[in-house]
Amino acid sequence: MTTIRASGTRTWASGWVFRVVVTLHLLAVIAQPVFAGVYLSGDFDALGWHEMGANIVTGFGYAQLIVAIVAFVRLRVRWALPMSIGVAVAETLQYYVGEHGPLWLHIPLGVAIVVALVMQFVTVWRRSIAKQESGDAGA
Amino acid sequence: MQERDRGGMSRRQLLGIGGSLGLMTAAGFSTAAVLGTRPASTSAQLISRVPLPSPYTVPLPIPAVLKPVNTAGGVDRYELTQREVRTQILPGVSSRLWTYDGTFPGPTIEARRGRPVTIEHSNELPVPTVVHLHGGHTPASSDGYPTDLVLPRGWSDVGSSDEDASSGMHDMSDMHGMTGMDAMSGMHDPRAVVTRLHREYTYPSQQRPTQLWYHDHRMDFTAPAIWRGLAGMHIIRDDNEQNLGLPAGDRELALMITDRAFAADGDLAYPALDPTLKGRPGVEERYVGGVFGDVILVNGAPWPVHEVDAARYRLRILNASNARQYNLEAITDDGRKLNLVQIGADQGLLATPVTLSAVPIAPAERYDVVIDFTGIPIGSRVRLVNTLGSGHTRDVMAFRVARAATDDSRIPHTLATDLPMWQRSDASAVRDFAFRAGRMGSGQGWLIDGKPFDPDRPDVTTALGDVEVWRLIADADHPVHLHLVGFRILTRNGHEPLPHDTGLKDTVSLRPGEAVEIITRFEGWSGRYLFHCHNAEHEDMGMMANLELA
Repeated sequence: MTTIRASGTRTWASGWVFRVVVTLHLLAVIAQPVFAGVYLSGDFDALGWHEMGANIVTGFGYAQLIVAIVAFVRLRVRWALPMSIGVAVAETLQYYVGEHGPLWLHIPLGVAIVVALVMQFVTVWRRSIAKQESGDAGA
Repeated sequence: MQERDRGGMSRRQLLGIGGSLGLMTAAGFSTAAVLGTRPASTSAQLISRVPLPSPYTVPLPIPAVLKPVNTAGGVDRYELTQREVRTQILPGVSSRLWTYDGTFPGPTIEARRGRPVTIEHSNELPVPTVVHLHGGHTPASSDGYPTDLVLPRGWSDVGSSDEDASSGMHDMSDMHGMTGMDAMSGMHDPRAVVTRLHREYTYPSQQRPTQLWYHDHRMDFTAPAIWRGLAGMHIIRDDNEQNLGLPAGDRELALMITDRAFAADGDLAYPALDPTLKGRPGVEERYVGGVFGDVILVNGAPWPVHEVDAARYRLRILNASNARQYNLEAITDDGRKLNLVQIGADQGLLATPVTLSAVPIAPAERYDVVIDFTGIPIGSRVRLVNTLGSGHTRDVMAFRVARAATDDSRIPHTLATDLPMWQRSDASAVRDFAFRAGRMGSGQGWLIDGKPFDPDRPDVTTALGDVEVWRLIADADHPVHLHLVGFRILTRNGHEPLPHDTGLKDTVSLRPGEAVEIITRFEGWSGRYLFHCHNAEHEDMGMMANLELA
């Protein structure tokens, strides 16, 4: 069957969507410390950008989670789901922390989110995201 | 296939690397959680070396109201002498203080709106002084610019004492790790108006009735001078306010809250690099963020207690601490929180009262609140506590409800109708200012837009009558104060201001990472004014800038 042959070599459409979402997500996340730095250097407008960036980042976080769920349901790709849940939870927390101010948590959490997304970016472009025959594949 | 899907790693490698990364992340967060100050604060605390009294044992002092020496021609003339005294702040402990007329706080000035006040200050201290009336709508010549010194006896003009003439212009190159004094001490300011021994300050009193305070504002040495006792209250009143029916007389209390620490000899402890405050400015590096004391004084008494009627009281709260912020709550003996109804801000009455469960107050801010002791059991206490403090710095003062009483006071729904309503569209300029830490010369300093204070550099020049929007951004706690004008807060962090941000202010508290937008009209007199951080240590270490009105 085609699907079995393609396993590990061919990436399906939802796999490509996942790669694109993770890539855009990473781009948005990398802009956040840039805006924060510009803001703290005295550019008030950058606070608005940082806030807009937070909306976009969390938006991508949830989009990534949805695509990961689709990949899990349709392709039986399991590994994309936990990492997407993790980053969506972290970003939700980060959004709240950013609004309410404890910088001791906001800054290291931000760094951790960037690092996590860099790792996820490498992962999604290295691994195939193809339909798995059974539950043990792609674990 | 499985190997490949793990990026060529074995299960063992994967677990090892993943586990290490997880461990490092957890360690990072834990370290941040342990080291991060919660609630955030920018300072370090001194520890007293003398026995401290139990809270709520010392009675609350009410500073004496200064009598004018002359009231001819519709002007109230006062005289004040700045001098060192020995006095007791802690029971049984003698402390040396620098005072206005021998008391801390200095005597209270009671002014009437529209009736000018002149105060002749005489300097009998061993150092130069400058008096600034905080929140005063004052001509530049009387605003107490930091280089407009009143020199003491035997002081040469160059900014150092005769017996130590070189110390004002010391070699800066060997001052590492200390506060940025480099450019400032002994810096020659050609526009400075220096007098000897005396100076008369004139206050027109043409402003909304409110609680102001006067304090030392000497270049580089404001923080230690205030710490040693150079602060007093100045209240402006008018008939309108008096006719509102707010609690008055004995039921109006002006409360100056400060924190201090005491050395083993009973004197106030302060980590000045030069304890004579004559030569080298700055504090020990640990205290660059600001100096906290471990004793909370209200009107100069440690954790005092005050007997009250079971009635409404008007509390006019001033935070005259150098760096400490308070979040004040009123708590009954049975743990119930009393509301504090805010009726006024730094620059006078609000349009309408605001009910707060806590009053956050940063250095130099004033909050005018009404508290209702009606119904509190006779003999029980209501404590004013600071939820940002810990241990005894959580305690502030207490009220002991002594007796039932009639109360004909009220809090009108409309308090004032004269608040300026500047609109964003009126603004002729929008300016951004970043308040943040930075290098200053060879040491750590506090900067506005990356620059330490320089009396010679006009930072903002604006025309009298112009409306401007200023957007202030802080890296740490910075209570930002504008001389001459009152302002309204438009936004805090891009959103609606907080409930206690209402009314006309002259000092706005920015917490770490915060931004506020303020709007004001620059009116009054032309000349050189200041805006600065009112963390007194920060302002001494560069966090001031010039506001030139043309």
